[in-house]
Amino acid sequence: MSATALKGKKAIKEEMKKSKAPSGFSVLARELVKDKLALVSLVILVSIVLFVYIYALTLDQAEITKINPRAIFKPPGGEYLLGTDYGGRDIFGQLIIGARNSLTIGIAITLITSFIGITIGIVAGYFGGRVDNLLMRFIDFILVLPVTMLIIVFVVIVPKFNVLNFIFIMSIFYWTGIARLIRSKTLAERELDYVSASKTLGTPNWKIILFQVLPNLSSIIIVNMTLNLAGNIGIETGLTYLGFGLPEKTPSLGTLISYSTNPDVMQNKSWVWLPAAILILVLMLSINFVGQALKRAADARQRLG
Amino acid sequence: MKKGLLKLVSLLLVLGMLLTACGGNKSKDSGSGDEDKVLVDPTEFPQTAEGKGDPIEGGSITVGLVTDTPFEGTLDWNFYSNNVDADIMKWFSESIFGYDANYNISNEVESAAKFEVADDFKSITITIQDGVYWHDGEKLTAEDYVYSYYIIGHPDYVSKEVGGSRYADSLISDIVGMEDYHNGKTDTISGIELLNDMTVKITWNNAQPSLLQGIWGYATPKHYYVNDKGEQLSVKELVNSEKIRTKPIGFGPFKVVNIVPGESVQLERFDDYYGGKPKLESVTVKTIPSSTVVEEIKSGKVDIADFPSDQYEIGMETPNYQLLAYEENAFTYIGFKLGHWDSEKQVNLQDRDTPLQDVELRKAMGYALDNKSIAEEFYMGLRSPATTLMIPFFKEYHNPDLEGFTYDPKKANDILDKAGYKDVDGDGYREDKNGKPMVFKFASMSGGETAEPIANWYIQNWKDVGIHVELLDGRLHEMNSFYDMVENDDPDIDIYQAAWGTGTDPDPTGLWASTSPWNYPRYVNEENDRLLAEGSSEKALIDPEYRKDIYNQWQELMIENPPVIPTLYRYALVAVNNRVVNYTVDSTRTDLGFEDIAVTSKKPFTAKDSQK
Repeated sequence: MSATALKGKKAIKEEMKKSKAPSGFSVLARELVKDKLALVSLVILVSIVLFVYIYALTLDQAEITKINPRAIFKPPGGEYLLGTDYGGRDIFGQLIIGARNSLTIGIAITLITSFIGITIGIVAGYFGGRVDNLLMRFIDFILVLPVTMLIIVFVVIVPKFNVLNFIFIMSIFYWTGIARLIRSKTLAERELDYVSASKTLGTPNWKIILFQVLPNLSSIIIVNMTLNLAGNIGIETGLTYLGFGLPEKTPSLGTLISYSTNPDVMQNKSWVWLPAAILILVLMLSINFVGQALKRAADARQRLG
Repeated sequence: MKKGLLKLVSLLLVLGMLLTACGGNKSKDSGSGDEDKVLVDPTEFPQTAEGKGDPIEGGSITVGLVTDTPFEGTLDWNFYSNNVDADIMKWFSESIFGYDANYNISNEVESAAKFEVADDFKSITITIQDGVYWHDGEKLTAEDYVYSYYIIGHPDYVSKEVGGSRYADSLISDIVGMEDYHNGKTDTISGIELLNDMTVKITWNNAQPSLLQGIWGYATPKHYYVNDKGEQLSVKELVNSEKIRTKPIGFGPFKVVNIVPGESVQLERFDDYYGGKPKLESVTVKTIPSSTVVEEIKSGKVDIADFPSDQYEIGMETPNYQLLAYEENAFTYIGFKLGHWDSEKQVNLQDRDTPLQDVELRKAMGYALDNKSIAEEFYMGLRSPATTLMIPFFKEYHNPDLEGFTYDPKKANDILDKAGYKDVDGDGYREDKNGKPMVFKFASMSGGETAEPIANWYIQNWKDVGIHVELLDGRLHEMNSFYDMVENDDPDIDIYQAAWGTGTDPDPTGLWASTSPWNYPRYVNEENDRLLAEGSSEKALIDPEYRKDIYNQWQELMIENPPVIPTLYRYALVAVNNRVVNYTVDSTRTDLGFEDIAVTSKKPFTAKDSQK
């Protein structure tokens, strides 16, 4: 009897495995494969990111940002693949290092803001009541602040300005949106039976949050992070373009594009800013196409696959 | 989704082609011979607009004021503080004196007043000429001129609300009896005597060496500065009154018709101008941002405007305008912060604990700078490497034989080795004499196209000789906050890059004396003070050769024991539409005034016309 019982258990387990609803990740993957545009975008995106990060390792930033008065505004071709800027600096090298900096900033901000946002959102949503009220009023407070203006002021008064500072300043403000979204999803999730069941069984709250609620929110988190990534890269380039971002000694895509504020560079020396502009366009489009596909995957009614 | 993919691919393809197209063309354009750079010789530019065709009767021109902020609009010489306002005022209000090529007042030049200076340079007698009229028809009298002194000397003039800055000049404050008037003890200034309606005698306590260059030249329309009841406006009322803000008058060749505050000023010919009826019917002065100057000139929207020298290119086409060039009375320099300003005692104290106190180190840093590359590559020769602190603008006193700090990294290295600055820890940078690492913070201004590469270029130059310099806060600073920090001797600044306008008086006392607040390096040197005092002594005044000799010694001292390293001398460009004649930037053409400017065509030439 014991043998059959064992066998039965195993069979049931296998049965369970087979009938398990498709997990978040496999749905995402399937959606990506089905949507050719998103797939191509993903390939382009990954190859750009890999190329930029790997190639940047072989470059010496000090060498690239070195001023060379003998090579000012050299057009593309010859010694300089994409020409040089008004300091005689190689555009191609700046483009690679700039893209790496901009991507690093975008990715880091996305990760940090998501972490803060998810933690606060899930805590607020799960516990509800006073905790929720307190956290949400705090978020409301941050939301009414003119964030861009504040960032600009911070940038001006921060004595040492570098990539880390920049990430820090941006991260302080940009987690509120994620927190709100996660909170609302958690509010719905905590009413479900499995949470009540776990609670009745005496599972501690942190375990329920981490191992039960969080995995159920994973798809929405991934979608959100992807779309935020595009936005965060945009904010960095935008601020730098306006002159409130990274110092010129640290190349970034925004720095390269901001050279076009000079009418002469804009009209006659397009090699300075056009590559960076195209790179941003391609990155943004790719991320957004991938993001759209993921978004659909998170909603069963819109899925293609 | 197939469609979407196609769209994306075609978009990328189009963009890619665009990029290659742009790139391809350019490389062909400049492929030939851009290796050996041709430099421009700024002295070959014309200094007076000749125009194309024959001048016509009347016509009107538009003058561009290159500024990125609205103009302030304090349109009175006693009160204005902003150069842009002065550029507006010069069209309708002028000095009663004429100035010669050396910017000394002169009786030879057509002017509203003639004068006679006493031999001891302690007094001057000024006679206003007949037939000079204010724009409202009243006659210009000596009383109007004297009234300027009563305004500048008034106790309220230096108050917070008025903020006047001209009282401290010794040509004003040293007038006999001025101090009593300024302190409110008397109502009149005893050293200013009206001999009759048109003649005034001014007496100073001490001899005034810079009398000819520096005497106050502007008259104030006393009869006009009254309120509705006919009472004289007080100094405090005056500074904000519409009489100087929106309806100013003068006795210049044009009179103000309309002012759009902060934006533009419309002027009209003043028929009763004492120098003859002006040729132009009207002039419009309007502000334009520096980034669009070239476009505005090309499209004929402005006829005359300062041309940004970092936008000048060799062989650049000037289809509808011509460029005039003149030597600016200014220089750029790199300063070393050596002490602080004691505002109570009004003296500089050279007391900062920094390795820069070592003269040898400062000299080595000077020899390490490659200014030639900057002058040639960034400015195409419109700037030139500076040699001494007496700029060539002062032809009589500038010593062309001194070479100053020429680019010589080997010499810099030798000096540093000899003085005991060795790289002890092998990081590529020299340590100080005690083997401790030294890092200097370098402050520089943002603004202008090339500010950033130039600052970093200097840092590289110093690195090449093993001196570790970093940008303060890792970035450039906005102009106002930069000067705030430099003026207040911010302890974070070790080295800074700035520029000085020298004015037209060659006496450098104001910038470098130990008692001058403008001595930003806070440099104190007895020999320096002695030479500066000698240079403006009565003996120097009487004997120009002696003064020249003193200033030669001073220039040498400033290289032997430098408070700053002069980096660049500057030329300025002015773009003038081809229809304009007789506009001049040449100081020797004292015969040409604004009343002589004329046009050869009713409409400005545009870049498009000249292509036809």
